[in-house]
Amino acid sequence: MAGKVKRLFSLWAHYAKMDAQWFAQDTGMFLLVVFSETIANFAAVTGLFLLAVRFGGVGDMSVDEMLFMLGFYTLSTGLVNMMDGGNALNISRRVGRGQLDHCLIQPLPLWMQLATEGFLPVSGSAGALCGLGFLLFAAARLRLAVSPLWVLGTVLFVLCSFAIQVGMRYIVSLSAFFHPAGSEEISAVMGGFLSSLGYYPLSGLPGWARAALNTVLPAGCLSWLPTLILLGKAPSPTLSFFYPLFAVLIFGAGVTTFQKGMKLYAKRGSSRYKAMGHRS
Amino acid sequence: MPNAALHDTKPWDTAVEMTQVSKRFRQKQNGDNVLANLLHPRHKTVDALKEVDLTIRRGEFVAYAGPNGAGKSTTFKLLCGMIGADSGRVRTCGLDPLRQRIPLMRQIGVLFGNRTELWWDHPVLSSFTWKKAVWEIDERTYQEQFALACEMLDLKHFLHTFVRELSLGQRMRADLGMMLMHRPQFILLDEPTLGLDVLAKRRMIDFLKYLNREQGTTILVTSHDLDDLTEMAQRIVMLSAGRIAFDGAPGDLQRRAGDPRRVTVVCGATPALPGCTLLGSQGERHTFAFDPGRVSVSALLSNIARLPGVKDVELSRAPIEGVIAELYRNWREEAPG
Repeated sequence: MAGKVKRLFSLWAHYAKMDAQWFAQDTGMFLLVVFSETIANFAAVTGLFLLAVRFGGVGDMSVDEMLFMLGFYTLSTGLVNMMDGGNALNISRRVGRGQLDHCLIQPLPLWMQLATEGFLPVSGSAGALCGLGFLLFAAARLRLAVSPLWVLGTVLFVLCSFAIQVGMRYIVSLSAFFHPAGSEEISAVMGGFLSSLGYYPLSGLPGWARAALNTVLPAGCLSWLPTLILLGKAPSPTLSFFYPLFAVLIFGAGVTTFQKGMKLYAKRGSSRYKAMGHRS
Repeated sequence: MPNAALHDTKPWDTAVEMTQVSKRFRQKQNGDNVLANLLHPRHKTVDALKEVDLTIRRGEFVAYAGPNGAGKSTTFKLLCGMIGADSGRVRTCGLDPLRQRIPLMRQIGVLFGNRTELWWDHPVLSSFTWKKAVWEIDERTYQEQFALACEMLDLKHFLHTFVRELSLGQRMRADLGMMLMHRPQFILLDEPTLGLDVLAKRRMIDFLKYLNREQGTTILVTSHDLDDLTEMAQRIVMLSAGRIAFDGAPGDLQRRAGDPRRVTVVCGATPALPGCTLLGSQGERHTFAFDPGRVSVSALLSNIARLPGVKDVELSRAPIEGVIAELYRNWREEAPG
């Protein structure tokens, strides 16, 4: 186990170095990426934040609570983007394009490759950094009683949100093993669905819609539900237990479906291949 | 998987051991009728490999040839553990490719001619250092192999060039060089000369021969260019419709295919040459096929000397491509089912 952890960190270190080399290949590239990433991350949440300011909050959340939630959302989706270099998390693209063969010739377990190969801590960190900034700023404005336990809880919930997003992408990607061409983009579609709904407060929705968006299509679990728990506004205290459990279930389901898919891949292989560098 | 299995490097004498290996694929068959395709999709089953037996010993240089769809790539994928066989037993370097993929990948190198392992948006050198990190190659081995690849494949001129900006020949050389960084004992090359110009192809062939001769590397290579394969390999395995149709030395193949020759006569009208078959005429150039076992060269030349207005005569062996194509046609016609 210790050997695997050490190996994970050594691979992350190598990919971090490669990412830094790519990011700093020239001044123009460097400035362009910094500028576009920052604008994109601010723009993603600005609309809703402006609405919250205009109307003094959204649903039962105040402006600062909204800012906290948007920070949480930007941080967790930013982490997903930071680990998704070369479609490591948009796995249906690799499956659908017949690019898993490239993974299978590396002397590494597949999970370790997918957990490390997409690591972009330099060029892909803008979202996570912006999110962290929003979160800290909102926490200060809300005068939250920040204890080590609360910080640990926040870190855990961010990781849960990350796990739910990754798990859902992998679950739907099972279809790419059956229909490579038709399902090539399905993980990106799922990611897009979750992230486009993931920063809306769901309090005003009917019960059935809230239930659906926190279970079957868990967009509410990206930031709304964990924010309620962290701000002490959750309808039930047991949610702080069930939320991590749900994240583990979704992530586990993602791993299991992918393993099933790989068994099918070993049987069928892939008759489809898209070139131009398999990490594109 | 236990660590011992991850780093299993037991000595092996047999690089490839395939016993009664079969592999089938299902292919979708669509017609023009959209509704029929939607409601009643049709499939056909293709036998990519049928009860194939193949053994390759350590140190051999084997060419694996066959027309498109013969099962070459399927064999490679089976040997690398990318797919599993429907039936039969597959061992690569003494390991089960599906269950012992990780230790296997430390021992073998794989290169698909139309697929690159290089990092597209990085300089070539970054891919080499990436390989060193992922394969955990020790510094000494890396430096030795790097120096060898740079010298033999002439990589130093573009080590700092971005992969996306390389020519095909440069990319193939870089891919081959990178594949060798962990000093694999057995390498599998699928169409490594695909799309290369004459010079790049020459360099690639010389390097592969060097690896086999000087380092004892076992090599299994596919190509559509049979002249390349016969030049490179000591043994040729030819597939046809999922079965091994020929397995032997290049000379044996030539003998089996016969020794068809060509004679081109340059003269005004198309001449009649007894025992020869006219293949075609271009202006004054008339090309015939003949079998030297039936018509001796001396008798043929005597006949030509008696023809009026002969300006030139050329004798040559039939191109191996044509000979093999004829063999494939015969094998397909003979194949059961």
